[in-house]
Amino acid sequence: MTQRYSCAVCPSADKELGAFIADLPMETSFHRVESQEVKCGFGLTGVCCRLCANGPCRITPDSPKGICGANADTLVARNFLRAVSAGSGCYIHVIENTARNLKDTALAKGELKGKKALERLCDMLSISGSDDYDKAVKVADAVLCDIYKPDFEKMELVKKIAYKPRYEVWEKLGILPGGAKSEVFAGTVKTSTNLNSDPVDMLLHCLRLGISTGIYGLALTNLLNDVIQGEPEIRMAPVGLRVIDPDYINIMLTGHQHSMFAHLQERLKAEDVTKKVQTAGAKGFKLIGCTCVGQDFQLRGAHCTGVFDGHAGNNFTSEAVLATGAIDAVVTEFNCTLPGIEPICDELKIKQICIDSIAKKANADLKEFTYETREAVTNEIIDEIIAAYTGRRGAVPMNLLPEHGNDNTLTGLSENTLKEFLGGTWQPLIDLIVSGQIKGLAAVVGCSSLAGSGHDVLTVELTKELIARDILVLTAGCSSGGIENVGLMTPEAAELAGPNLKAICKQLGIPPVLNFGPCLAIGRLEIVAAEIAEAIGIDIPQLPLVISAPQWLEEQALADGAFALALGLPLHLGTPPFVTGSPVAVQVLCEDMKSLTGGYVFINNDAAESAKLFEDIIVGKRRDLNLP
Amino acid sequence: MKRIFIDADKCIGCKNCLVACMQAHKPGTVSVFGLDFIDPALESRNKILLDSRGKCIPLFCRHCDKPGCATACMSGAMVKEPETGYVRYDSDRCAQCFMCVMNCPYGVLKPDRETGTYVVKCDFCADHNSEPSCVKMCPVKAIYVEEV
Repeated sequence: MTQRYSCAVCPSADKELGAFIADLPMETSFHRVESQEVKCGFGLTGVCCRLCANGPCRITPDSPKGICGANADTLVARNFLRAVSAGSGCYIHVIENTARNLKDTALAKGELKGKKALERLCDMLSISGSDDYDKAVKVADAVLCDIYKPDFEKMELVKKIAYKPRYEVWEKLGILPGGAKSEVFAGTVKTSTNLNSDPVDMLLHCLRLGISTGIYGLALTNLLNDVIQGEPEIRMAPVGLRVIDPDYINIMLTGHQHSMFAHLQERLKAEDVTKKVQTAGAKGFKLIGCTCVGQDFQLRGAHCTGVFDGHAGNNFTSEAVLATGAIDAVVTEFNCTLPGIEPICDELKIKQICIDSIAKKANADLKEFTYETREAVTNEIIDEIIAAYTGRRGAVPMNLLPEHGNDNTLTGLSENTLKEFLGGTWQPLIDLIVSGQIKGLAAVVGCSSLAGSGHDVLTVELTKELIARDILVLTAGCSSGGIENVGLMTPEAAELAGPNLKAICKQLGIPPVLNFGPCLAIGRLEIVAAEIAEAIGIDIPQLPLVISAPQWLEEQALADGAFALALGLPLHLGTPPFVTGSPVAVQVLCEDMKSLTGGYVFINNDAAESAKLFEDIIVGKRRDLNLP
Repeated sequence: MKRIFIDADKCIGCKNCLVACMQAHKPGTVSVFGLDFIDPALESRNKILLDSRGKCIPLFCRHCDKPGCATACMSGAMVKEPETGYVRYDSDRCAQCFMCVMNCPYGVLKPDRETGTYVVKCDFCADHNSEPSCVKMCPVKAIYVEEV
């Protein structure tokens, strides 16, 4: 019998997964939580500064200022803006590559799977062209031109994409962003040694980064990917470790850049490749979705049948997916690619290939994806993976979990598919909200983390509490991965909803939690919110809608959160974003923001208490709208 | 009887023991996020000094066998409990002479920062039903509890 690595593992909301990981003979992130249990109080509260050689300086009652004279407010705001800038930079890298891929595909007259999506984008951005390729080039150029502007030139597409009342608020506050890359640059410079010391200025800069992140990094990345890879289609799909079939050569994907896989996924279906695979003794190639790019594949799965079989799990499920032994290679292009997968790949002889140097992994071969070299690079990747398959199968143990997950998770939700499902108008959903059958909406988005409650624990428990209160939940990000694997996105989960929501779900055959896919789809949720607000004739902050990143993990999530605040939404977090050491930051984020954008942060790490707070906010917003 | 022992070679000066102490002694149940690090009422009963070579010297009340603080106390506020070995401080009995502060061989006792009317002293987190908070929060095990 194989020896367990250790008894001390972090809990998971996904009991089967938790038990599987507890029994593994190798170390995973779940095993490292205990040894990292003790956290530094200064780091947690944001009052540690190591921006200069006088540091690290920590704030205490006996040392209330750093050597330079910076107080807790300056320290915290600086650290926070640095993190939001980095997070925004990540998403801007994603939209930059996506726009470049769209442009290159169009210039080469390659396949554009989402013709309707292109039409809608052209309407939205007032772009016309001689044919689809010309239009696609112009769309991509408009995006690239904006994100490359200096910070003193405002980006032009914001006005065309943002909801008008929001744009007006941002304009009045002076937080319309200049070029997205330059805003990241400015955020980094502002927070360097002995530059900006104004906590309010730095927090307002976070809002500016939030807008550029939300409009470009999130919303536009989806819309451009829809043109390249095809639009989402509502369907039922299998999820969890059950999607791994050992008869195939399996490639696990991690990252956030769906368009970078367009060429690979098509080649895997080609006749010459199929022949090679069969010669090697496998039935074919399969792409196993993991992290957000897996969610993107799942969302657009209707365009990738035969190669993509399903989404296995979120960020912290990736080690377990590899530990099944049936994965032959990992192809990565961005986060969330945990360094912890590397020793597992070594042990199980799993080939690691990285296609974006920005996210180069220590043990991976770098095979940088460029449109020009795609044929050669893709063929190299395929040959190396086949060689890895031949070399490792039979030499490493299989440890499958075929019963994990489910076969009927509803996927394919987008701002368009949901509206079409409702009959081409938001009115049926608005009517249900007005009548009170649906009390309100909650967006449960963002990552999964392990510290705190455990893997997906707060996310899943909060979601259950919300649906039980007749609050319809929409998801985007790694939260989707955790929630779908425990079955809350199957129609059967209607049984867990409150009586009113349950009746609606049963009537329509839908789950009480609607899966919009990757964290990028927070941009889709914003479009849904804006369109519903427009249909009612109100601004976004008036909607009975709360957004939550219960288990936010990364700097990117903080940039997403800044977007939510710019949209004027109440933003719930399970744990504070390292700011509580500053009275000014807490006051601005939790109170004063209400008079600026309408949004605010509230923190709670208990599922039932948090859900009650959501309900109170929603009831308050309903009252303000004179709803019962 | 239990005592806190110090392995100064392991201390990296993160001051987690200070944070833990402040948190443990703030009235009401508060998480670390509830601490206001510039509130003068927040006091730690331990400290970390550096020696002449820059090495961290973590200092904690040792609840000494022959406690200088209790010996110097004229009002009976500072008393060595025979059963537990803890040196207990009763602020109600304190005459505020602060001879205990003068007499502490480790220099860890101090008058409170805000009013200067009582002594800030380690109570071994005796009412927490577990080991002292500072010991629990030390990430490198530079402090630990042992039976003596």
